[in-house]
Parts: sequence; C-alpha cells; structure tokens
Amino acid sequence: MLVGKKITKRFGGLTALSEVDFEVRRGEIVGLIGPNGSGKTTLFNVISGIYSPDGGDLFFENRKITTLSPHQRARLGIGRTFQIVRPLSGINLIENVATGVLYGREGKTKAGEARERAMDILAFAGLADKARRLPGELVLEDRKRLEVARALGLHPEILLLDEVFAGLNPTEITAAIDLTFRIREEYGTTIFMIEHVMKAIMSTCSRIMVLNFGTKITEGSPDEVANHPEVVSAYLGAAYAKC
Amino acid sequence: MNKAYPVALAILVILLAAFPCIGPEVYYLSFMFSVFMYVILASSWNFIGGYGGYLSFGHAAFFGIGAFATAKLATMLQLPPMLTMLASIPAGGIAALVALIVGYPCLKIRGPYFSVVTLCFAFVVDLAVKNIEFLGGAEGLWLKFMDIPEKTSRTIMYEVMLLLMVVTLAVSWFLGRSRFGTGLTAIRSDEEVAETMAIPTAKLKIQAFVLSAFFPGVAGGLFAYYLGYIHADAVFSINISILIVLMAMFGGGGTWLGPIIGAVILTVVNEGLSTFAQAEIARIIYGALFIVVTIFMPNGIMDFFRKKGGKT
Repeated sequence: MLVGKKITKRFGGLTALSEVDFEVRRGEIVGLIGPNGSGKTTLFNVISGIYSPDGGDLFFENRKITTLSPHQRARLGIGRTFQIVRPLSGINLIENVATGVLYGREGKTKAGEARERAMDILAFAGLADKARRLPGELVLEDRKRLEVARALGLHPEILLLDEVFAGLNPTEITAAIDLTFRIREEYGTTIFMIEHVMKAIMSTCSRIMVLNFGTKITEGSPDEVANHPEVVSAYLGAAYAKC
Repeated sequence: MNKAYPVALAILVILLAAFPCIGPEVYYLSFMFSVFMYVILASSWNFIGGYGGYLSFGHAAFFGIGAFATAKLATMLQLPPMLTMLASIPAGGIAALVALIVGYPCLKIRGPYFSVVTLCFAFVVDLAVKNIEFLGGAEGLWLKFMDIPEKTSRTIMYEVMLLLMVVTLAVSWFLGRSRFGTGLTAIRSDEEVAETMAIPTAKLKIQAFVLSAFFPGVAGGLFAYYLGYIHADAVFSINISILIVLMAMFGGGGTWLGPIIGAVILTVVNEGLSTFAQAEIARIIYGALFIVVTIFMPNGIMDFFRKKGGKT
C-alpha cells in the first residue's frame, strides 16, 4: 500500500537518503532499524510530507503522493507520531485527540461527536482516567500513549511510529507491544515503525528493513536481519561480523 | 455548560441596549461607543492572533481601510447619512479583501514573517493614504452627518455599534467551539503536528485573517461616520494597532472572554486616567499595570482566574 522508489534526500552536501526503495503491504507491521543518523526519521519525514525528496517517488495505494502536502497525505490515511513527543500543549487529552478526529477520516465535523470518539480512542490507549489532564502533567509512558492516540484520531490506514518504545521500562514496553498489536487488530491499521528496542522489534515485526548511512542494506524477517553480516557490522563494527 | 450563562448574556445585552433610555449624558454614550469598538477590534484580532497564534501588529490598517472606504463610498455615491452607515458593511468587505491579498503570501509560510509584514503594511497604508489626493491626502475626508439633535444621533450610533459588537462576539463564540477554531488552536500549538493531523494550516490561517479584518473594517466605517471627519492619523495610528494586541493579550488571547475583559478594562483605565490624572502619571500607571500583568499573569487575566477556580 505504501511504496517508495529510489527516494533520495540531501541536506546540502550530506546525502541523508540515497535511492531507498521500500514497500509496506496492507496489514503488515514493518520495522525500520539502523544506527543513529542512518536516515530513519528522515525517511518518515519524507513519507509524511514534512520534507520533499530530492529524487524518487512515493505511492500510496497506487496513487502518486510525492507532491502532496502533509495535510493531504494525512487526509489520505498516513498518520504519524514524533520521536520527541509533540502533544498539542495547553489543551487536554480529549481535545488533543478530538482535533485529529475533526480533521481526519472519521467524517465527524461536530465538536461533541468528535469528543466522544476521542474518549473512545483514549480508553483504547489506556488513558481514559487521565482524559481531562493536560499533556504536560503526564509521565513519559502516558505521553507516548497520547502521541499514538493523537495519530489514531485520524483513523489512519498506515501509522508511522517513530520510536514509541524509547525510554520505557520493560513492563511499559510489554504494554506498548500489546498496544501495537491491538491497533492493527481493532483499527486495521498497517504499521511502519522505527525502533531501537530489540525486544519490541523482534516480537512485533513480520519484516524489518535496515538503513545505514542513508542506504538500505538489507530487509527480511527478524531472524534473518539479526544475523545478517552487514547489519552486525553496521551496529558493532566489522570485526564482529566475521564470527 | 451552565444554561444560565446564555440567559445572563442576553439580559446584559438588553440592558446595554436600553441604557440610552434612562437619558445618560452624551459623554457616557460616547464612552460606551468606544468600549464597544475596542471590544470588536480586540475580539476580531483574537481570531488570528489569539486562536491561531499569528500576531498581527497592523490591525489598525483594516480599521482605517474600513473608515476611508466608507467615507469614499458615501461621497462618491452621494449617499444619504443613514445609508452611509450601511456602506460600512461593503467597506468591511474591502478590508477583508485587502487582508486576503496581504495575508496570502505571508501566511503560506510559517513563522514570524506575518507579524513583520502586518506591521510594515500598516505603515505603508498610512503613508499611502496621506499622499493620495483621491483619499483626501493630508486634509482628510468629510462625511455628511444626520440632520438631527446630537443626542439622538449619538444614541443611534451607540445602538449600531452595540449590534456590531454582538455579531462579532457571536462569531467569536462559535469560532471557539467549532472545527475551524479547533484547527486554529492546533496551529498555535504546533503547526507541523497540525499538518500531520490533516489540518490544512495555510488555508485556515488565511481564512481566520480575512475574517479578523472584516469586523474592524465595519467598525472603522461606523467610527468614520461617528467622527464626521476622517484623517489618517485618527485611524491608522500604530498606537491603535498596539492597543488592540495589548487588550487581547491582557485579557487572554485564544479565549472568548479574554479580549472582552481586556478591551473593557483598558478602555476604562485609559479614559479614567486621562480624565482624573496628569498625562505623565497616567502613562506610568498604565505601564506599571502591564508589568504586573505580564509578571503574574503571562497568559492574561482569564488564565489567572481559571487557575484560581481550580479548573485546568
């Protein structure tokens, strides 16, 4: 459903993404990994339309979306979260999620209906009892949940999750893995996720893509990727790749 | 929401409308007229500046454009005095159109450019009007006034401005609770995130700016008619632009009640000080008031009371 062909993005002399090809199919949970600075978030920014690529094309459900603005892409069903959580500050959790519901694909334009729907989504994300709090009052785990709930307000076809597991403790990670699966079950949403937490990525993803220095070095099942010499080399150095 | 609230508001409006019946002095009618006018200006500014977070530092320009457009329409079409007042509606339309032209390029992009452009725009319009003979140039324009006693004409102006204020506040009320207002609030908070939530940010900002220019345009037309003589200095002054921003922020931007409270308090303080205190002392008190509010209530008076009330 989401296809990228030869995506290239440069920042001045630095090539952040170099002719990256990828495909995410409906119903999949696909992981995107790679060392720091390998271009993962840049790829997400290109997909969501925050950056326009210097080369290559993006297709969403066979439609070319390369030149569409971020809100048009969101409207088509591409939702995302941000690595550093970015809730709408100063308004409570219901209003945060309701904003996405009002402008997204739920077809609700009345504030009251949108708030009801937002309440359902918050309950789904485990935030029902904190619905009237302000985002600034939440602990990190809940902020991450809010980030996901805010994106779910759109009712996206595909959700780009940018490191939602980072900074969580093992118990919280287990809960977040559970949430990831439930999103796919209940919303039928396809998931494309950037992740460093190996436990999370190994147990959720059916397929993993690896970026290094802006190039896709491999892709495959979690086991294949984990044992791939180039992946080991990218993370731990060439010396470890041999053994 | 409490059901008593709209009823109380309706009673308040009726009381205000009935105020001229008790036969107050003309001074009080004129004073209330300017209170209403500033409530309109601050509340309309709030559409883009408060909800959207895009500060317009040249809102007096739309007020002035409305004033001059009304005066010009009246003289060109030889309108009778009562119709001149109605001419302020198309004059508001002209102000809105100008806002579209000015806002379109600078609201397409993000950031502080908009504030700079609106500030410069206000200066440019002021200079242009002073130098264009067609618009009265340095001499200004005269309007024909109603051939009735001063008190009657002032009462009519009072009621008309009150009506415009009620309309403006109704729009502001619905905007705050609508999908449109929700989108603007998201833009103020984080425009990039708003885009990823399917909000067409550029379109919303432009619409809000155009709407926020319309009501000041109409108010400017009424003001021109009220004065009977219009000069660029009276309506394009940077002081008016700054005062509008201060009123809205003082009361609390992005809320319905904030600009109303701010406009009422500052008009009263302004008027009271200029009547009872020396000009120098008045300025000191005025300045001190702002320092106090900025330090203790950075988000306006509204925010302060909301926190006291325990609601967040």
